[in-house]
Amino acid sequence: MSSIYRTPFQRLTRRASATLALGGLIIGGALTGSAAESSDKKPKTYDLPTGSDRTGMAIYQKMCASCHGDKGQGVPDEYDEPLHGNRSLVSLTKRISKTMPDDNVGACVGDDATKVAAYIYETFYSPQAQARLHPPEFDLSRMTIAQYRTTVADLLGRFRPGFDRPPGTARGLKAHYSGLQLEKPPEPDPNQPEVKPEEKAAAKKDDDKKKKDRPKVQFDRVDPQVTFHFDTHSPDPEKMAPDEFSVRWDGSIIAEETGTYEFILKSENGVRLAVNDMKNLLVDAWVSSGPDVREEKRSVFLLGGRSYSISLEFFKFKDKTASIELQWKTPHGVVETIPQQCLSPDRLRETVVVKTNFPADDRSVGYERGTGVSKEWDGATTDAAIEVAEHVDAHLDELSGSKSGTPDRVDKLKQFSRKFAEGAFRRPISDEDYKHFIEHQFEVAKTPEIAVKRVVLYTLKSPRFLYPEIPNGGQPDGYDIAARLALSLWDSLPDVTLLRAAAENKLQTHDQIAAQAYRMLGDPRTKAKVHGFFHYWLELERAEGIQKDPKSFPEFDAQVLADLRTSLFEFLDQVVWSDKSDYRELLQANYLLLNPRLAKLYGKSIEGDGFQRVDFDAKQRAGVVTHPYLLAAFASSKQTSPIHRGVFLTRTIVGMTLKPPPMAVAFEDAKFDAHLTMREKITELTKNTNCMGCHGTINPLGFSLENYDAIGRWRTQDNNKPVNAVSDFATDEGDTVHLTGARDLVKFAAENASGHRAFIHLLFQYSVKQAVNVYGPDELEDLRQSFTKSGFNIRKLVSEIAIVAATRGLPEPEAKAAAQKTEPSTTQVAQEAKPATAPKPL
Amino acid sequence: MSILNRRQFLRRLGVSSAALPFLAGLPSLRGAATPQKRQRMIIMFSPNGTLPADFWPDQVGDQLVLKPIMEPLEPFKDRMLVVNGVYNKIRGDGDSHMRGMSCLLTANELLPGNIRGGGGSPAGWAGSISIDQEIKNFLQANEATRTRFGSLEFGVAVPDRADPWTRMSYAGANQPVAPIDNPYQMFGKLYGRMKDRDNLVSVLDDVKEDLTRVSAKLSARDKALLDQHVTIVRNLEQELKHNDADTKMAHPMPELDPSVELVNDNTPQISRMQIDLLVNSLSNDMTRVATLQYMRSVGQAQMRWLGIQEGHHSLSHEPDNNQDAYGKLKKINTWFAGELAYLAKRLSETPEPSGEGSMLDHTLIVWTNELGKGNSHTLDNIPCVIIGGAPGVKTGRSLKLEKVPHNRLWMALAHTMGHDQLQTFGKAELCEGGALSLA
Repeated sequence: MSSIYRTPFQRLTRRASATLALGGLIIGGALTGSAAESSDKKPKTYDLPTGSDRTGMAIYQKMCASCHGDKGQGVPDEYDEPLHGNRSLVSLTKRISKTMPDDNVGACVGDDATKVAAYIYETFYSPQAQARLHPPEFDLSRMTIAQYRTTVADLLGRFRPGFDRPPGTARGLKAHYSGLQLEKPPEPDPNQPEVKPEEKAAAKKDDDKKKKDRPKVQFDRVDPQVTFHFDTHSPDPEKMAPDEFSVRWDGSIIAEETGTYEFILKSENGVRLAVNDMKNLLVDAWVSSGPDVREEKRSVFLLGGRSYSISLEFFKFKDKTASIELQWKTPHGVVETIPQQCLSPDRLRETVVVKTNFPADDRSVGYERGTGVSKEWDGATTDAAIEVAEHVDAHLDELSGSKSGTPDRVDKLKQFSRKFAEGAFRRPISDEDYKHFIEHQFEVAKTPEIAVKRVVLYTLKSPRFLYPEIPNGGQPDGYDIAARLALSLWDSLPDVTLLRAAAENKLQTHDQIAAQAYRMLGDPRTKAKVHGFFHYWLELERAEGIQKDPKSFPEFDAQVLADLRTSLFEFLDQVVWSDKSDYRELLQANYLLLNPRLAKLYGKSIEGDGFQRVDFDAKQRAGVVTHPYLLAAFASSKQTSPIHRGVFLTRTIVGMTLKPPPMAVAFEDAKFDAHLTMREKITELTKNTNCMGCHGTINPLGFSLENYDAIGRWRTQDNNKPVNAVSDFATDEGDTVHLTGARDLVKFAAENASGHRAFIHLLFQYSVKQAVNVYGPDELEDLRQSFTKSGFNIRKLVSEIAIVAATRGLPEPEAKAAAQKTEPSTTQVAQEAKPATAPKPL
Repeated sequence: MSILNRRQFLRRLGVSSAALPFLAGLPSLRGAATPQKRQRMIIMFSPNGTLPADFWPDQVGDQLVLKPIMEPLEPFKDRMLVVNGVYNKIRGDGDSHMRGMSCLLTANELLPGNIRGGGGSPAGWAGSISIDQEIKNFLQANEATRTRFGSLEFGVAVPDRADPWTRMSYAGANQPVAPIDNPYQMFGKLYGRMKDRDNLVSVLDDVKEDLTRVSAKLSARDKALLDQHVTIVRNLEQELKHNDADTKMAHPMPELDPSVELVNDNTPQISRMQIDLLVNSLSNDMTRVATLQYMRSVGQAQMRWLGIQEGHHSLSHEPDNNQDAYGKLKKINTWFAGELAYLAKRLSETPEPSGEGSMLDHTLIVWTNELGKGNSHTLDNIPCVIIGGAPGVKTGRSLKLEKVPHNRLWMALAHTMGHDQLQTFGKAELCEGGALSLA
């Protein structure tokens, strides 16, 4: 079960787990029962002061401190969990009057409860109080693995201008066909005797002569895909002879996801394939062997959101037949002919993708970050540095724009070295550093080329490269701001435009910084980063490679799974990159993007191929939480899993905290009455009071998705009984919300401040790799307000987060101005003036 | 390719032993503690046929009188076995050059394919494993004879293209094994990233210093992480120093001339570099099986270092009475013999790790060719000169056999390497009579 939690929690002691926790989400009728029991006992007395001395603090010390500690820190063997949490003051007051003191419920009610709750809330309970008491600090971090890879790619890309140019709108590959003009061959005489070898040889010489004189046929075109079965014919049976011809395809492939791509080339003829690295063939199958179609498979690791050059050559000579198919398997896809939308006729320069394996980044706080170093990590940085140095060495003429032996060679290599180090360090280097990093290397190395290698190794091993936000002494300058923007938005280095802005002192005011951030949003790197966030936000790791019981769901194969992923990402992209970029649409859309295969499975019929918007009854589909990819991921192989769904919804969508389960309970289907619905089974399983503390929240949310089976299809029956998706659920604010299904749930979440906070919080820590409260106790709230004002514009939020991160350590007014400036419309302001924390019951 | 870089790089190839710990995990690098008895084999190939009259000794038996082409091998006359009468009887698809090359070590027919030569039907790759790979697999299957690489394929001036004229070694049907003809690349393969590691070791001091400089500007909290980083770097450095004291390879890495461009005219130097690496890899027991392939079948090397401007293959087509061409071909083939002599010399100068004689005493070198004679394109009587020592091989003589299929020669070679269960090799019909006796 622990895998369903995003973050680890301290283990509760026996005592604590048996006691109901204020800080948690413990709610419900069970509590009243236990309170009633205890009130039968002899009432305890408290020596409480009267009048103005009867302060919240005084009440706390008399009635609460013996179990909770004088500062709410907890007391071993009594209640050892520190008292802090996310309840509102109102909710906390209610809770105290209903349940406290534990052994004398009813002793602290009315004014007393109000006062003590206010004291507790302000002194240590609320997140703000916690932030004040324990201000979190910025953790110096090295780059994560993903950041390292993009950074190196962009660092070397700087020497290959245009390497990252997004391909044009044309799709498909450029093709050049070449062959011999068709001759009218004499009709073969079936009675002709077999030619003897010597005669054959003589005939061949004749052939060769004729061939030289035979006119060629050539033509160019763009092919949408490479899948051709010429059989015994030529590509142009009217004009081109069938026995001998060749084709060359050029262009680039568009890789959406980061990961290993497998290229599969099928042909019985001669083929050669190069991807990204045009100097070294990925597949060399130029020599054919016999009439059988051969299948060549090679894998390449590629960074997502980028394009890579591809070149494919084909030739046929005397083989009986000819065919070629170029397929791939993307990181989470299935084997398919490379589709037209992933091919472009434009060629690009090489992108350097580091192959070195790094140890996995620390995820112990719930997101990948670089706050630790290890021997293995250091070793990986060494291997990667060597890998890059070897690449630089092998391409030095190209990268430095010089030739060995020319008079300006040394100067050019020094220029290269400076540019490389400055790129890697994200700022110009001082004269002193120039001496260390460059001059010195050229002095000690036997040749200038070895010096360059040393510069590369030294630079890539330097903390200035590995720790992008390493303090440079003093206040952050324009280069620091540029580096932080690039890190938050791109996981990479500042580009030339940013560096120029820094050099010209044009990264100082909020407007200047914001203008850069908005510009950067349009770069494909931001799209790639936002993809990464969605993967993290929706815990898509769970969906990768899942399999369903083939008896129950015979249609749900790897192809469907791959299609669903595409469908989800296309939906997310459409919403985020639309004008409104509205977070609420993510949660509330009543449509899915489906292709014919998915449409059929999910009960719709559509015309044409490809993915298209398919509208549903608003009750039946409600945004990402009802996307079949997620619903299938948060389900077991045969059945739904309301607990997995509920925990995800609670934490990530509704934004409430959960404590870890006090005991591990496995769901064993066989133990239940075979006639029960899943809801009935879960209700039975979690009926224990200790469980209901959290399951009082988890279950209603999870049950609201019971209308979707284990592959996310709409259903109205479970185990031959009607599905019941109706429940009441209690919010952190102490309100009860009536949910009749997914639509109510997402409406609640989309309008609820704690849901917004959860989204902002997760987006922030994913983008910046630091917790949001590092940037100030009010930062989350400030972001939430501006998110609301912007009409929940996701892109704006992305850029504002980057601005907050970029301006850390700047003088307060500038930083604040930077973080808060938005262009709200008046109506949005008016809306915001209303308390946003009390959603109405539905 | 950036020649200069490689040049500068390799100038520093006296890689310090500080880099050695990086290799600690690699088997056989330092050699076993108590060297076992080792038997090795090298197949050396040169292309385009020979000149029989100036190659084959006139006399059969122990009174070996070397003809002009073999003169450079004079010092190894006692260690030589010349085998006349070996035929490549493989027919089927492909021209003589293709079959001469790609059936040379496989002794089996080519697969049909799309590659057309100067006659016959188009063909593809070899249809089965080559003898070097067969023996490699045999040795690698046994713990006692397993080495890091199992086999190494050296090339000299092999053009950068893959077709049946450029490949003689096959891991199996359709699986050509490319020779490495770049000594720097081979060096990289043998000694890993030692050269880069060495560079790294030399910047470690700088890195440490930089870490300290940067660290000085940090708050105590941030410093903690960097201090940890410094410790890792310092430990690495100490490990290197510690290992420096007690790590020694059986044989030091060879010193390669760092300034050789990979061009035709530098072939003589490249050849020697490859031979040095080959001997070194054998002495460090990285492999016991190697091939050394000069150029390729139909190769057009222009041996200007011998004063020859024309391409080798074109010359080999000239009739015997073209005295100019004949003289040049003699020079060319004599040059190959000289390279073989250098290889034999290097092995004979290197003591066998077990202490029993030299490495040549435990190595068989087989020098062969894809054609018997260039201008006739015959696969009959292909050159076969064996130098070295192995149990059951009697040297210092010339043998004349009666049209023996070369399948049986390879079986004999396998037997000397301990692979004596090999009953047939390549095309089974041609194996009648079993392994040749070389005793």
